[in-house]
Amino acid sequence: MTRLVVSGLRVDRAHLPVVRDVSLAVESGRISVLLGANGAGKTTLLEGLSGVIPVAGGTIEIDGHDIHRARPGARVAAGLAHVEQGRTVFRQLTTDENLRAGACAASDVAAAYELFPELLPRRDVPAGLLSGGEQQMLVIARALAGRPKILLIDEMSAGLAPTIVRRLMATVRRLADQGLAVVLVEQFAVLALGVGDRAYVLRRGEIVYDGACAALRDAPDMLHQLYLGGSGDGPA
Amino acid sequence: MNALLTSVVAGLTGGGAYGLLGVCAVFTYRLVAVVNFTAAAIGTTGTFVLVMLYEAGAPLWLAMACGLVAGTVAGIAIGLVMTAWFAESSASTKAAVTVALLVGIVAIGLRLTGGQHPHHFPDLFPGSAMRLAGVELTFSSLLTIGLGVVFTVLAETFLTRTRMGLHLRALSERPMAAELIGVPVRRLAVLVWGITGAVTTFSLMIIAPQRSPDFASLSLLVVPALAAALIGLFRSFWITLVGGIMIGVVEGTMSVFPGLSQYRGAVPFLIILAVLLWLQRGARWDEAR
Repeated sequence: MTRLVVSGLRVDRAHLPVVRDVSLAVESGRISVLLGANGAGKTTLLEGLSGVIPVAGGTIEIDGHDIHRARPGARVAAGLAHVEQGRTVFRQLTTDENLRAGACAASDVAAAYELFPELLPRRDVPAGLLSGGEQQMLVIARALAGRPKILLIDEMSAGLAPTIVRRLMATVRRLADQGLAVVLVEQFAVLALGVGDRAYVLRRGEIVYDGACAALRDAPDMLHQLYLGGSGDGPA
Repeated sequence: MNALLTSVVAGLTGGGAYGLLGVCAVFTYRLVAVVNFTAAAIGTTGTFVLVMLYEAGAPLWLAMACGLVAGTVAGIAIGLVMTAWFAESSASTKAAVTVALLVGIVAIGLRLTGGQHPHHFPDLFPGSAMRLAGVELTFSSLLTIGLGVVFTVLAETFLTRTRMGLHLRALSERPMAAELIGVPVRRLAVLVWGITGAVTTFSLMIIAPQRSPDFASLSLLVVPALAAALIGLFRSFWITLVGGIMIGVVEGTMSVFPGLSQYRGAVPFLIILAVLLWLQRGARWDEAR
């Protein structure tokens, strides 16, 4: 089932178009991987989707309802959750308070500890004192505590140890298998293509590839060309 | 000795109001991350609504109610400006904006209230509540200090025990991250500005009869309030409250000594200077090493 449909989206920063004419279709139970070099517009696209920055054109539909003019809070209510890059925990609040701040009910907090049991012994520790991996788990768990239908995750693996990244990737895969629609923005393409279903590659704000993750995974040369530009671009 | 005690006790009313205004400043800073220089001007606006209506013949209770509503609305109006246009700005930018707003409000306020034209400020709670060591303790003193304690207890309890308080603490740290997990950011921010608007107005109404009855002087009561907040390092409600009361008491004590009396107004500045020097001692020490 298609949850999120984006058509002709344009997002500007400082009055300059950073994301141009982007169209996506994100489905339940699937991981859509968004790839691209630094500065390609991946984070700006996610911020446009969640309402962190207003969009300059196009439409964003969740379950058929256009939300492109809605405030971020209204998009959350419509089922969208955005895990920002940089592990944005509330540093002075404890782990438990972070989770409760995002939860609809007490059962959501319990579910968060089931998903990430590593957080349970750290429940009364201020989130600013958690390790990088624990903070990343916490922001994902906090977003899930609001019972979203679509989860946008930005640069989940940045600065984390490979074992933690594999652990988080496996969890994201499991969440998708349970029915969540996931949009994963990653610098490390190989890791993301390993768990994703559908891939989009952004270059200078435009989508230059839309296809199966497996196809890109098996053709690293094509991925290089898509990142850097040139004649061998895949289907747009 | 009795004169000294009388002055100290007289300073309690001012001190209580400084403490209460300081607690409001900490409340605003901790929850919406703004050092609000307009706080006393907001309270003064509400107080002048009371005075104008009272002078026009309205009953005191009605004038007071209208004044409180006006102060609350003024607080919310400033809050809307800050949340709509400066939510993501740095703390120093926000503080500078409130200074600019203060200048604007004082200019308009002076114009509308007749500049230095004297007004009669009704004493809302006249009379003596009790005698302390032979000195009269007024209702106003007790009320401002009592209100400061109540507001401090309520603020602490509200922030640590309620879901809305949890949301406010999240909001104060990362407004956008809070909004992205569904915290009703704007509604909460407006609530904070409304509450502090109402409380500052009430404390200004109590302290106004003992002060220079013009818009500018009352608006500048924000200076001792921010000095009190600085003593509490813009974090501790209790230390801020006690700090505010102490500033009032020091001011009262200085009025006994003829040579010092005229410098009473400088007390908050000296305290600000002392606290800043104390806070910088570590930096100076690091530099020396």
